[in-house]
Amino acid sequence: MITRQTSLSKNIVQFCRFLRQKGFGVTIEEETLSLQALQYIDYNDHEIFFQTLRATLCHSKSQLDEFDNLFHEYWKDLDKAVDAKTKEDPKPKTAFRQQASYKAISKWLHGNGNKETEETATYSIQETLLRKDFSTVPEDEVDELMQTIKSIAKRLAAKTNRRYEFSYKTDMPDLRKTLRKNLRRGGELLDIVHRRPKRNRIKLVLLCDVSRSMELYSAFLIQFMYAFQQVYRRMETFVFSTFLKRITSLLKQRNFQEAMQLLSKENNGWSGGTRIGESLNAFVNEYGKKLIDSKTIVIILSDGWDTGNIDLIKNNMEFIHAKSKKLIWLNPLAGFEDYKPHVSAMKAALPFIDVFASVHNVESLKKLGRWL
Amino acid sequence: MLHEQGYITDDSVAMSAFLSLQLNKPLLIEGPAGVGKTEIAKVMANALQTDLIRLQCYEGLDATHALYEWNYQKQLLHLKMVEHNQQAAEEKEKTIFGDSFLMKRPLLQAITHHKKPVLLIDEIDRSDEEFESFLLEVLSDWQITIPEIGTIKATHIPQVILTSNRTRELSEALRRRCLYLYIDYPDFEKEWMIVKNKVPGIDKKLAEQITGFMQQLRIIKLEKTPGIAETLDWAAALTALHVDHLDKNIIEQTLGVVLKDWRDTRQVQMSLSELMEKTGVKAKL
Repeated sequence: MITRQTSLSKNIVQFCRFLRQKGFGVTIEEETLSLQALQYIDYNDHEIFFQTLRATLCHSKSQLDEFDNLFHEYWKDLDKAVDAKTKEDPKPKTAFRQQASYKAISKWLHGNGNKETEETATYSIQETLLRKDFSTVPEDEVDELMQTIKSIAKRLAAKTNRRYEFSYKTDMPDLRKTLRKNLRRGGELLDIVHRRPKRNRIKLVLLCDVSRSMELYSAFLIQFMYAFQQVYRRMETFVFSTFLKRITSLLKQRNFQEAMQLLSKENNGWSGGTRIGESLNAFVNEYGKKLIDSKTIVIILSDGWDTGNIDLIKNNMEFIHAKSKKLIWLNPLAGFEDYKPHVSAMKAALPFIDVFASVHNVESLKKLGRWL
Repeated sequence: MLHEQGYITDDSVAMSAFLSLQLNKPLLIEGPAGVGKTEIAKVMANALQTDLIRLQCYEGLDATHALYEWNYQKQLLHLKMVEHNQQAAEEKEKTIFGDSFLMKRPLLQAITHHKKPVLLIDEIDRSDEEFESFLLEVLSDWQITIPEIGTIKATHIPQVILTSNRTRELSEALRRRCLYLYIDYPDFEKEWMIVKNKVPGIDKKLAEQITGFMQQLRIIKLEKTPGIAETLDWAAALTALHVDHLDKNIIEQTLGVVLKDWRDTRQVQMSLSELMEKTGVKAKL
């Protein structure tokens, strides 16, 4: 390890500390590396110096973007400090910290994904046959959502069976097939056939509540449904409010905007009232036997505010629970700390739910993978 | 150094490449498709006058395909041949696990190469996460263990370049071992330089128009945004057709070189006049 006791290397160390303070992860290793790199460059040239640190300290795209600002912020500050012949003022540091925490908060708010935070959740009895315009739903978060769901989907697809199937990978020979194949050459084992554990392909059924009380989360819901359907092909998506509608084919559009247009065109009972029981009943009667088997995970996304028949909920939930591999109920309200499922519909459904959890933004979605 | 090989670049690329050479660190390059990530490795190998060993990653790539494999058939045939020899079993065993029965895959090749090679691990994001963590071991210790032979240490530490299209996030551990470089689509000036350099005999005016058009094209939201590779293909195609300026007809006829998705083609065709106008304005400036 090279430690040069010049003010420059001290400065770099300090700069690394500054970076860490701003939530920019720099390991000791990278710090050392940047110091080592100094040997090879002309560090009197400001531009070269900047590029060197940039190359050694960053390791992702987002960090690169962040780095430019932080670098200028720090070195400008330092120049000022030198000019004034004073040691570094603690004041700007606290200012930075405030800024950072503010940033964190705004980021968090932004990550929530809903722009209508002022609204409160309500539910309506009448069926309002509104045609909602989805063209304003932001697309920017879809990519991030898709990334997350992709990793979940990959894990889902990786669940293994006890049986085997043919494979090109070379780690597990299939003795029986190898012998048979090579019999024609007099039993000399020249070609080896390989096998791998067969994969269980899990199917998903997503039932999404789009009634008025869920409107707060509609932007997220749409992104969620779209991203999931795009990534995971063995999946059926339904929306329900007072009635049930299958929207799988709509969401299979490759273009997000096109999908949104299609979704807006058709009346899906968006922002209507809620009749969970009736909707579930319709689902079970029409699709239940076809779609649900022991390899299917059923996900219901709803807040449980309901104006319909409670018994229907109970019966149908029981049916789905018995038939499916797993029944997951995602309730956006469950994210609040003091939430208790005291809505009657929720109470009725609870005994049949395998996983009850909250999903309302990208962050909480990351946890979903664990339950699947 | 990169300039000599006809690779037009900017400071950050040059600096990262330089440092990665000096510090003997792998260089991880990310960026959209077709901006010349792979090209860096080729150019580097050329500049260092050494060999380029390439490992193309794909889903399901495993250690046997990346490291080594025993030439099983050859071993069998050899055994068959020496069946009636009076050699001891141990001796036979020794011979069939020798070097001549070992099929070297890219990673082992790179490590045992007779002089420092450039190892290109292309599209690492396509491989599984297991392979990525397996790679960590090789990249940090520069050695490979083969149970039948023992540990093989690198004769020369190869210059490693990893590229990724960001289809999935790479692990922190891998990132930490590498220098990081992000290459984006080039700006007008840079792309113009590249076109002029890479397509010999191209009309100056045409190069300008092509570049301007491509720059505008990237602003529109397309399914698959064309990279520099497409620009060059297009420039070469137009030069071959002896075209010296762009017009609507020519563009429509040769759009297939640039756009690889019918939706994009349709979209661009519809807004072609508008694009032309913008390009024209740019060309005048």
